Amino acid sequence: MGIKQVAFKIKWVHSVLLLATATLVLGTPFIDNPYYLDTLITILLWAGLAGAWNISGGYAGQLSLGHGAFFGIGAYTSTVLLLTSDLSPFVGMFAGASLAMLVAIGIGAVCFRLKGPFFVLATLAFGEVAHIAAINWRSITGGANGLQIPYDAGWLNFTFLSEKPYVYIAFLYLIIVYASNKYMEHSRLGYQLAGIREDEEAARSLGVNSWRAKLLALGISAFLTALGGTFYAQYIQIIDPDSTFSWTVSIQPALLTIVGGLGTAAGPILGSIIMIPMSQVIRVQLGGTYSGAHLAVYGVILIAIVLFLPRGLYDVVRKAPSEVWGKTVLRSKPE
Amino acid sequence: MIEFVPQLIISGILLGGIYALIAMSLTLVFGVLRVINFAHGDFVMMSMYLSYALYVFLGWEPYYSVVVVAAIMFLFGVISERLIIKRTISAPHVVQVFATFGLAILLQNAALLIWKGNMRSVSLPYADTVLKIGKVSVPFTSVVVVGVVFLITAALFVFLKYTYPGKAIRSTAQNRTVAMLMGVNVNRVYRFTFAIGAMLTGVAGSLLVLIYPVFPLVGLNFILPVFVIVVLGGLGSVPGALIASFIIGLAETLSGYFISPSMKQAVIFVLFIVILVIKPSGLLGKKGEEGIGT
Repeated sequence: MGIKQVAFKIKWVHSVLLLATATLVLGTPFIDNPYYLDTLITILLWAGLAGAWNISGGYAGQLSLGHGAFFGIGAYTSTVLLLTSDLSPFVGMFAGASLAMLVAIGIGAVCFRLKGPFFVLATLAFGEVAHIAAINWRSITGGANGLQIPYDAGWLNFTFLSEKPYVYIAFLYLIIVYASNKYMEHSRLGYQLAGIREDEEAARSLGVNSWRAKLLALGISAFLTALGGTFYAQYIQIIDPDSTFSWTVSIQPALLTIVGGLGTAAGPILGSIIMIPMSQVIRVQLGGTYSGAHLAVYGVILIAIVLFLPRGLYDVVRKAPSEVWGKTVLRSKPE
Repeated sequence: MIEFVPQLIISGILLGGIYALIAMSLTLVFGVLRVINFAHGDFVMMSMYLSYALYVFLGWEPYYSVVVVAAIMFLFGVISERLIIKRTISAPHVVQVFATFGLAILLQNAALLIWKGNMRSVSLPYADTVLKIGKVSVPFTSVVVVGVVFLITAALFVFLKYTYPGKAIRSTAQNRTVAMLMGVNVNRVYRFTFAIGAMLTGVAGSLLVLIYPVFPLVGLNFILPVFVIVVLGGLGSVPGALIASFIIGLAETLSGYFISPSMKQAVIFVLFIVILVIKPSGLLGKKGEEGIGT
C-alpha cells in the first residue's frame, strides 16, 4: 500500500464528514421542527456513546456489554448533586465521569482476568448488578420511580427552552469523543491496544503492560460514556433505572459501532447516521400497528453485517473511491 | 422462620430443575461448537409461543404437543445453524457474540410483531394441581420439569456414551482437529448438536408455558441465571450444569427469603462474579477452557 493511497483515503472520508458536520452546525439555527432537532440530538448522542464504547470494545477488543452502568452512574451522579447540593451539571458531569472511571477500573481489575465470551458475560453481570442496585437503593436513586430534574432554564443549570443548545452541546461531546478515538489511532496507548487486540501474548512478550493498557482504555471509555449519561439526564429531564442502567443502553453503542466499523474513529458516527434515522423512520411508519418492526430490522442488519461485513460499513465506504476512479493511480503497488 | 426452610429447599430444587432444563442444552452446544448462543433464551420463548399457539388454535395440550414443538425446533436449529451459526464457528468472537445477539433481537421483536406485548398463558385444570407433602406444597408442573430433566440427563448420557453420533459429538468437543482426522464429519456434528440443543429448548418451552406466562422478552428472565449456571458448572460440562442449576435455584429461593426478594438476582450475579474471579473454569470444567475461543 503506497503512502499516497493512505493519504487519499483519509482525506476523502474526512472531508465528507467535515462537510456534513459543518452543514449541520451552520444549518441548525434554521431548523425549527422539534422532531428533526430531536433526531439530530439522538444521532449525535448515540454517535458519542458508540465512540466511547469503541475505545474499549473496538480499539482494545474488550467487548463490554455493561456500559449501561457507566451511563447510569453519569446520569445519576450529576442529577443527585444537582438536586441535593444545587451543583451545576456542568461540574457534576465530571464528578459522575470520574466516579464511572473508578468503577470501571474496579470492574476491569476483576473482568480482565477473563477472556472472550467469559469477559462479555462478566460485564453483562456487572451491568445487571448496577441496574438492580439502582432500583433498590431508593434513598439515593429514588428507586424505580426515578428522579426528576426541576425545570429551571439557564446555562448554569444545563437546561434550555429550545432544543438548539442541546444540539451544540451534543456536537461538542461528539467532537471530544471523536478526538479521543483518533488519539487511539496515533498514540502509544493506541498501538499497545491494537497489539493486545490482535495477540495479547505477543504484545506482552514485547513488553506491553496489557493490564494497565486495558484498564486505561476501559477507564477512558467509562469516563466518556458517563458524560453522555449526564447529557441524557439534562436533555430528557427525568431518569429512572430502566432508561439509564438498562440492557438497551449497554447494547446499542456496541451495535452502532459494529455496523459502522469496529476500531475506527468514523465507524460509530457512520453507524449512528445510518441506523438511528432508519429506526426512527420505521418506528414512525410502522410503530403504531407493528411495534417491534424497527428492532427486528436491527437484528437482521446486525446479523448480516457481522457475517458478511465484519469490518463494518466504514470499510466499504473507505474502499469505494479507489475502486471507482483510483485504479490506475492508486494501485501502483500491491498491498 | 425455620419452619419455612423445607418449603424453601423444595422450591429451590424445583426452580433448579427449570434452570437445568435450559442450561443443559446451552452448555452442550457450547462444549461442541465453542459458540455461546445468546439467543438460547429466545429459543425457549419461541417454543413457548409455539406450544401456546398449538393449544389455542388446535386445542393440543402442551404435554402432548411437546413432540411437535421439539420437532419444529429441531428443524429451526438445523436452519439457523446453516444460515448463521456455521459461519461463526471459526470467526473472531465479536462475530460469534453479535451474530447470535442479532438473532436474539430478531426473535424477540418478531414475537412482539406477531403476538404483541401481552402476557399469555395456558391454564389447564390438572396443571394447577398442587401436591401437599406434610406442610410442603409442590406444584405438579414443576415436578414434571424435574422428572423430565432427569429423563433428558439419562437419555443424553446413554446417547453420548454408547451411540456413534454421540461419540462423534464427544470427540469433536474434545479436539475438533483430531476428530476430523479420524473421519468424523465435524460440520455435520455441529449442525446435529445445535439442532439437538434447539430441540431441548422446544421441550423446555412446552413445559414452561404451563408454569410461566409467555411474552416476547421472557427469554431474558431465563437466560441471565442460565449463563451464571453454565459458567458455574464449567462451560461445556452437562453434569456441571445440572449440579450448578440446583445450587443457583437454591441460592435464589433462599436469598429471596432471607435477604430480600428484590435482591435475589443481585445475589446470583455477585456469586457469578466471585466464581469468575476464583475459578473461571467452573466446578467441573477443565482448567484453561475459559480461554478457548480467544
